[in-house]
Amino acid sequence: MKTPEELEQLFDRTLREQPLRPAPRSLQARVLAEIEKRQARPWWQKSFAHWPLAARIVFFAASIGFVKVGLQSAMWVSTSLRADALAIQLPAEVSWIPSIFTAAGFVARSLPPLWLYGALAVMGAMYMVLFAVSAAAYRTVQPQH
Amino acid sequence: MDSVRPDEFASFMRAYQDMVFTTAARITGSERHAEDISQEVFLKAYESFAQLQSSQAVGGWLRTVATNLSLNHLSRYRRRWRFFSELRRDDGDEEGEAFDPGFTLPDGLPADLDADNRRELIEQALMRLPEHQRVPLVLYHFGELPYEEIAAQLHVSLAKVKTDIFRARAALAKVLARSGITQASDVISS
Repeated sequence: MKTPEELEQLFDRTLREQPLRPAPRSLQARVLAEIEKRQARPWWQKSFAHWPLAARIVFFAASIGFVKVGLQSAMWVSTSLRADALAIQLPAEVSWIPSIFTAAGFVARSLPPLWLYGALAVMGAMYMVLFAVSAAAYRTVQPQH
Repeated sequence: MDSVRPDEFASFMRAYQDMVFTTAARITGSERHAEDISQEVFLKAYESFAQLQSSQAVGGWLRTVATNLSLNHLSRYRRRWRFFSELRRDDGDEEGEAFDPGFTLPDGLPADLDADNRRELIEQALMRLPEHQRVPLVLYHFGELPYEEIAAQLHVSLAKVKTDIFRARAALAKVLARSGITQASDVISS
């Protein structure tokens, strides 16, 4: 009778001697067809690394613009509702946009602080409950190690 | 990637497609899914072909990608096998579970069974193993992964990996015994 180690070696040797299974004949054709299909796609359907240089430059410029707009919006929200605070150089057609952010900031500042802090505390507590319930469910389903 | 010549990549595929397909087939237990996974592997290889062409470890890279994609496929589409396999153990059914190789094992196989037929029997038996036994067995013997890494990959305990591999060997032992490679009692009673 063989020892467990001898059996393991026998199994290992026997299984490693198994030859490779031949791949289907259609596999190569499928792969090459898929490659051709992907190459025929327009550049905007490919990953960023395959975009033309001009498109990538425009994307970076637009991203910087969005960041600037976001920061400016945050500044508008934090300023008080004064006419001179809105005196920034914008075209007349879009000069109403800063007033939206400023109005939102006014509303937020008008609320009692207790309400704001209370809302933040409730949201934080809900996140903690979510994590706690998820961890408990995970521990229940997972086998003990 | 557009600069890769199709005949060059086709030659690369011919060299490794059997290995990739075999890896995927043995893990998933399905030739149909193995073909889909093999296609994904080679599409990934195509994206990195410039680096792979000159790499000595291309075989290992392909095997690793095939293994990972196969395991991802299993976890995405199968039911949670470890949960159900533990339920079966709790029910006590797994102790008496009989392995069905899916073909009739003749009682009197000739001692000089043709090597090709023997290998075919073993391969069929391997594909017929239950998934929770086949996957760790394949990862251990073909993937050369240690028990700990198999447990980490499959998100199960080390003890479960060892138990499933032992049971897989016991199930295959019948086939190996009938083909004259070993005695089934050597495994069952160890």
